[in-house]
Formats: sequence, C-alpha cells, structure tokens
Amino acid sequence: MASKTMSTETTGGVGRQIPRLSLAFLMLAQAAVVIPHGGHLSWWVIVVGLVCAAWRWMVYQGRWDFPSRLVKVVLVVMAVVGVALGGTGAFSLETATALLIVAFALKLVEMRSRRDAYLVIFLCYFVIATEFLFEQSMAIAFYQLLAVIVVTAAMVGLNQMHTRIRPLVSLRTAATLVLQAAPLMLVLFLFFPRIAPLWSVPLPGGAQTGITDRVAPGDIASLARSDEIAFRVTFDGPAPNTAMLYWRGLVYSRFDAGVWTAGPLPPTDRRVESVRVQADGTAPLRYEVLLEPTQAVWLFALETPSPVTPGTALTRDYRLVSDEPIRGLFRYRVESFPDYVADASLPEWLRRRETQIIEGANPRSREFSQALRERSASDRAYLESLLLHVRREPYFYTLNPPLLNSADDIDEFWFDTRAGFCSHFAGAFVYLARLAGIPARMVGGYQGGEVNPVTGHFVVRQYDAHAWAEAWVAGEGWVRFDPTAAVAPARIERGLDAALSEPDRAALAAFTSLRLAGTAFADVMYWFESLEHRWNVWVVGYDTQRQYQYLRDLLGGVSPVKIGLVMLAGGAGSLALVALSLFWRRRSVVGHPTERLLRRFDAALARQGLSRAPAESPRAFLQRVGIALGKQPAQMTSLVESVDQLLYNPASNAHDGAVRRRVAQGLRRLKLEVALRSRG
Amino acid sequence: MSTSSPSLSEHAAHVRGRWERSERFGRWLERRIPRSSRITLSQSSIFIFPTVTGFVFGALVLLLIVGAINYQNSLVYGVAFLLGSLFLVTILYTFRNLSGMTFDLVGAGAGFVDESIEFQVRVSRPQGRGREGIQLGWPGAIAQWAEVYEAPACVVRLYVRADARGWLRPGRLLIETYYPLGLLRAWTWVDLDAKALVYPRPIFGEPPQATTRQRDEGELIDPRGSDDFSDMRSYRSGDPVRRILWRTYARSDELIVKEYASYLDPRFIVDFDALPGDVEERLSRMTGMVLTASNVQREFALSLPGTFIESGLGAAHLDRVLRALALYGVEDDVD
Repeated sequence: MASKTMSTETTGGVGRQIPRLSLAFLMLAQAAVVIPHGGHLSWWVIVVGLVCAAWRWMVYQGRWDFPSRLVKVVLVVMAVVGVALGGTGAFSLETATALLIVAFALKLVEMRSRRDAYLVIFLCYFVIATEFLFEQSMAIAFYQLLAVIVVTAAMVGLNQMHTRIRPLVSLRTAATLVLQAAPLMLVLFLFFPRIAPLWSVPLPGGAQTGITDRVAPGDIASLARSDEIAFRVTFDGPAPNTAMLYWRGLVYSRFDAGVWTAGPLPPTDRRVESVRVQADGTAPLRYEVLLEPTQAVWLFALETPSPVTPGTALTRDYRLVSDEPIRGLFRYRVESFPDYVADASLPEWLRRRETQIIEGANPRSREFSQALRERSASDRAYLESLLLHVRREPYFYTLNPPLLNSADDIDEFWFDTRAGFCSHFAGAFVYLARLAGIPARMVGGYQGGEVNPVTGHFVVRQYDAHAWAEAWVAGEGWVRFDPTAAVAPARIERGLDAALSEPDRAALAAFTSLRLAGTAFADVMYWFESLEHRWNVWVVGYDTQRQYQYLRDLLGGVSPVKIGLVMLAGGAGSLALVALSLFWRRRSVVGHPTERLLRRFDAALARQGLSRAPAESPRAFLQRVGIALGKQPAQMTSLVESVDQLLYNPASNAHDGAVRRRVAQGLRRLKLEVALRSRG
Repeated sequence: MSTSSPSLSEHAAHVRGRWERSERFGRWLERRIPRSSRITLSQSSIFIFPTVTGFVFGALVLLLIVGAINYQNSLVYGVAFLLGSLFLVTILYTFRNLSGMTFDLVGAGAGFVDESIEFQVRVSRPQGRGREGIQLGWPGAIAQWAEVYEAPACVVRLYVRADARGWLRPGRLLIETYYPLGLLRAWTWVDLDAKALVYPRPIFGEPPQATTRQRDEGELIDPRGSDDFSDMRSYRSGDPVRRILWRTYARSDELIVKEYASYLDPRFIVDFDALPGDVEERLSRMTGMVLTASNVQREFALSLPGTFIESGLGAAHLDRVLRALALYGVEDDVD
C-alpha cells in the first residue's frame, strides 16, 4: 500500500485567524439570517447593517482597515440610542430583536479572531430562532433550514485546513451534517416533553389583522382584497353546508357617526353551563380551529359555542374569547349547539342597550320604519319585510360602494345610493330594527370558507370577512338575519367571487380569482394549502395537548419511563444510522476485473439454483454449466479458454480489452440461457 | 485551534497539559498506546471531549429550549433540537476523523543544539472519505496540518527545537482534530519512538593547530625533535656531544653526528585533551573544528577519552565524528 500512495507535503502552521473562505461564508450567513427580519426592522438598522457589511468587505479585500476604537464606541452608542428611541418605550420583543441585529451588524466590523467568528455563528443561530417568534410558515422554516446549513458551513470552514479553498465541500459537509441530525431532531421534537412556560415573556406585537372591533362602512370591503388565511377548521364529523357557516367573532352594539363599535369586552359568563344543559340531547358540532395570529382576544365559532380548550371562554353575548391576545397560531376546540336559544328572556338593561339609537338623525328611515312596522303583524314579520324590501328593491352588492358623506348616512344608503357591501346592509338593517324598538345588533366575523379537497379542512380567508345582523325575537331569542343573503344570495351560497361584478373581481388579490376560477393552478394551490395545514397542525401546533394525544395513541399510555425509553431508543437508533453511514466501509472493489465478472456470474447462477462449489475452479464450473445446458464441450471451449487466459496469463494483456468483452458477452448469454431454462 | 475565549481555553489547555504530562497519565498511556514507529488509531486510542466552544454551544441550545418553553414555540424547539442533534452527530464525525488513521515515523533529521530538528511523519488514511483538519505536533513545537483530503497519505514535517546534545526524544506526539465544527476535540498521544541526534553547538574560531605525537609514521620531520634516528651528518658546533659517533671518529677522524628527528604527526587530530574549558565547551570547540576542517577538505581525526577515530574525510566520516561528539558521555540507547 505504502508504495502506491501518493504523498504530499504540507507546510504552514495551524493559525488562529479566521480563514478567508470562512469569513465569506460568515458574511453570507449573516445576510441570510437577517433578511427575514427585514419586515419588522427600522430602515436605519438595515442601513447600519449594509454599511458594516460594506466596510467588512473592504477590510476583507485589504483596502480599508478595521475601524478605530473611537469609531466603534460612537457607532455602538448611536445604535443603542437609535433602538431606544425607535422602540415603543416598553421593552418589547421587537426592540430586543432590533438591538440583537444592530449588535450583530456592528460585530461585522470587529470580527478578527476565531473567537469572534464563533460568537457571530452562535448569534446567527439565535437570530434564526428569533425569527420564528414572528413567523412560523412552512416557507420560512424551509428558508431557515437553508440558513442553518450556510451558518454551519461557516463553522465547518473554520475547522478545515484553509490552505485550499473548497467552498462546496464546506457546504456539502454542513448539509450532510444537518441531514444526518434530522432523524434525531425528529425524535426529540416528538418526544421531548413540552412543558408550560417557566415565566411570562413579551410576545411579538404588531397591528391587528382581520376583522376589528370597529367597523366603518368601507372596512370589511377592504378585507375582501386580501386572500390571507384567517383560520382553518377541521370538523370531527360531516361539515355543515357552507351557507350555514357563520363564524361569529364580534358583536357591535354601538352606532355613532357611521361607525359601529363593539365597545369594551363584556365579562365572561358562566352561561357556558346553561348552553350545555339546555342543549342536552342534541348533538353538537365538534370542530377544531387553527387561528392565525390576530393580536386580539376574540375567537371565531359557529352559533352557539361552548368552549372546550382551556384559556377560552364565553362572553355574555355568546362570543368565544381567549384569555390572551392571539399572538401566534392558536388552536382551539369548540362544541357548537346550533339549536340553542340564546337569551330566552332579555334583561331590561340589555334591551335598553341593544335598542339605543341617536335621536334626530335619519328622518326618512324613521318614517319608513314607522310605516313598515304598522303594516307588520309582529316584530318577526317586520324584520322579514325588511329583508324582502332589500330583495325586491334595486339594491346592489359591491366592493366599491359610493361614499356616504351626509350625516344621515343610513338614509343616504337606504334610499339613494342603494349600493354597498355587507356591513352597509347589516348596519342599515340593525338601525331600522332598532327604530322599530326591536333589540338588534351587528355581528362581525366570517362567512363560509372553502373546503380543501386534499385534506378536507375548511380554509377561511380574509375575503370571507362578513357582517350580518342579529335581532331578538320573543320566544326565539337572538335570531340571525343576513341582509347580504337577500341582496346577493350567491355570496352566501357560493362565496364572494360569485357575487361580484366583473370590475369588482379585478380588485381582488391576484391569487384569489385564480383560486376561485377552478383552474389547474387551483389544484396546485390546494395541495400547497393542505401541506401548510398539516404543517400547522403537526409542527407549529404541536403543543402539550397534541403531544399528549399523540403519545397516548402511539404508546398506549403516557408515563415518564415510557417516554424516556422511547427517546433513548429513538436517539440511539438515529445516531446508529449516522454511525453506520460514517463507519461502514463499502466492500472493496479492488481485485481482478475478471474475478469481479465471475463473482457476479456466480451470484446470478446461484439465484437460479446453480452454484459453484467452494473448491470448483471457474473452468470446471463453466464446463458443468455447459453440460447442464446440454451443450457440447466444444461449444464451451472458446469461452473457457478465454476466461483461463484472462485469469492466469498475465502476458495476454495485449488483447485484454477484446477478450474481456467477449467473455463478458459469453457469460451474459449463459446467464440468460440458465434463466430461460429454469423458467420453462 | 478552536477557541471561544483564548484566555479560557489556554487555561484549559494548561490544566489539560499538566495532567497529560503527569507521570500517572504517562504510565497509563504507555499501557494503552504502546510505543511503536507505526500506529493506527483505533477506538481505544482516541480521546474525545467538548471544547470550550462546544460548551458555549451547549449553553446556546439550553437557552433556545428555555425560549421555546416560554414562548411555546414549536419551531424554536425545532431549532434547539436540530442544533442539539448536530452536536451529537458531530461527536461521531470528530471521532471518525481520527479513527483508522495511520502514523509512521519515516525520518528524523539531525542537527545542532539550538536548531530545529526535522521529523517526518507519514500520515495515511484508510480508503474512502477524505479526512480534514487533522493537526499534529509535539508539545511546545508548532503544530502542522495533515493534508489527507484528496491524497490518501502525506508526509508532515515537524520541527522540534533541540536543547541539549545527545538523543532528542520529543516524546509523545499530540494528534488532534476539531473537525467538523470545532465543538469537540478528538485527540491522542502517540509515541512513534521518534529520536534524533543532536550535535553539540559548534564554537568556531579555534586555530587548527597541529599536535605532535611520538609515533613512527609521518612525512613531515621536525629537525629539532629527538625521537628517532634519521640521518648522519658532519658535526657542527653546538651539536650535543652524546650524538657524536665516536666509532666513526676513531676510524676517520671525522666528527659525524647522529641526527635524530621528531616525526610531526601528519594528521590533524581534534583532541579533547588538548582543549581548554569544561566538557561541553570542549565538545563545542571540537565540533567547530571538525566542521571547519570538513569545510576546507582537510583530513582530521578525533580523539575523545576512550574513543579515537582515525583520520578521514567525507560525509560518512563527518557523521561518525559528529555522532561520537554528540553521544560523548551520553548513554546510548539500550532499546
């Protein structure tokens, strides 16, 4: 062996500096991990980062020097002051992240030794984890996985011999490492006990998304332009008809200057019990909702919900709310009793609140209401005639309603413009009901949703945002009235797109029409969506509860000993796999090419039940095979002689190629003949 | 060298070094990895332990897990677990990086005191994947990388400073690797039975003086000598009376004197006894003389108490002489 191995000499000692290749990787890694944070960083943080990167690049190229101590001190002070001024005052997660990233950028111009390099690498990992506090989508997770590989490659680069530059080797090594770490990670992810928070921490804030507790006439229409997902729902049993899916979230009782407000959150109520008791006997709708972060406490549920998940509760107006604002993906289970009579008797204070209107405004509506009430036999009949009026008269459902600018806005809408979005119709309906002394309120939430054909779950998007009305009818409690269903039945039955005119449709988000149009593209999007849903359920939403369920199903009972054993076995198994791939030496392929050829030939014939005896020479074996096939010995001579020549006559090297090809061909034919013979 | 904090890691290295140089460790190591000029590293001869960086990395993983618990964030758990798994996988990688490597001592140079002596260690890897980031070096000397990523073997030249004349035994060679992430250090101490000859530090400037010797051979004659009869001649006034050949005078009336001569030793002998100073100084001067003589192509002999090397010239002769000087008073190796 020693005589054949090539020897190279090495010179140069083992240094303490950052290898240049590794430095390039480090800068790449830093950029990669900061980019996703771009969304919630101030512009000047990004500028500082870019300047530092440019400076470091010039140092790398040998054109500039590192900044002096004074310059560094000034930079640090400015950055800290900048973050403090830019923050909201309180120490929020955003402030902390901004500080982290500024420090990270400044470290760029100070990075000299390997120690600095490791500090930057560890910060990179930390920044990657931080980003997950803001976003947890599958796409970002995939991106961050790549980022982890780049950061790891920088670390590999620090420990490679650096007299040669092999960026791809570093990257490949890092990718292999991450890939090989994946099974163990999976074991830990599934079995590592998820425990309750140790102490409370600031969660990412941000603007509220989705429907809010204040509805001005155009608000919901603007939501219709967004195709972002609001929540996903999985029903335990068969799902109800889409037209029945009114996801109640907010109740607006106050109306002032064209704006409906929900007012302060009513106290949560022990009424939950009564929902259960009264509805006893009827089977509830059971479902699980995965709510995207809203930064608000309200949850969405079908009528009339009863909370199941701890941390959720029912308010006096039969809404489901969470104890904490929803800052991350939130999973909750609900049981809904559609036949429950909400507020069978209405307390006086509530009646007063739900019939309140400002005196004096909208004279025409007052007149209209008075006349209609007189014609109607009952409250119920009055409300029905309102719907009938909307259906019969030329009212239009549109995303771009004309602006209402008079103080008597309900009059203006009801009698003049007659075009509006759901909140216009619902608002006018409630107003007219209250004019007749009927307790009524506007309800905000979502209506409908689309079924993902891949997983069967419902996806409710922002453009499904909807407003409708509720009125209290003696004996029936609160009853839902949806004037939008009267003016544009298609909206309720087939979704928003079906109800919109051509120009309105153009205003929707780019993907919305495509999705709704049912193209082949829609299938791809459904597939992606189902993937995202599974991701949300199994990865993002894998919490204490789900882990408990999963482990109970998997292990048939959860005990610390069992979990410990499973983790141990899984961990050992996955590490053994890695060890096997590292230490397993492939059977050496050295040896005479003809021997290899014969080995394969022997193996193939052995499978057909014709195996070479241990002491049998290739020559004898071939002759035996010939006899078995009923050939004359002379027919085999050429092949046998050639094999012998190849094996034992080194002088025959001159015509090796041709002979070997002939032998290979002959052996192949024999294999085929043996196989054919054993078949038939 | 992977370090998260030089001072800390230096301290750690210091502590480690003290333990690893201790006698008990040495005896234990002697049993575990016996001395041999060719050593293939196996499971029992590789040690592995996290570096300071590795401990910091572990702390980062713990921090992330605490963060994941407090934020109840599955993906932060994911990052923490991925990094934790990465650490565990790295153990196998770091270990594998040394496992199966073969180290042969293929050459040892020679030199003078205060010079760096070259040792050549051949590093070869088993077939298959290339190895990276393997360093070797004797304690106190500069470590070198072994480049065995593409090539299956390489020869690494290591230099050790010689402090004293005689046999230089650098002792156990430290082989270590931090590959792939610097989180762990796998290392071993192998005794390749390396030894190199160290000659005394030469002191130049001694005039190459001749030494007289009472010997019969030789070509140059010192007429003033009195060792041996060489010739006869007519009496000149002042000749010692006892040298007069009276028998001849009786026959011929002519005063003939016997001429005696000292034979000047024709060889240049570098003589221990002829030099001033203590043993080391004398040896240094002798080394200087030997080198000078060799340089000017003059034959020389060496005389050390108990050793005499005949006059000669050439590389082999020089080697023999220098070896004798190096090993004067030094116990030669029994093994």
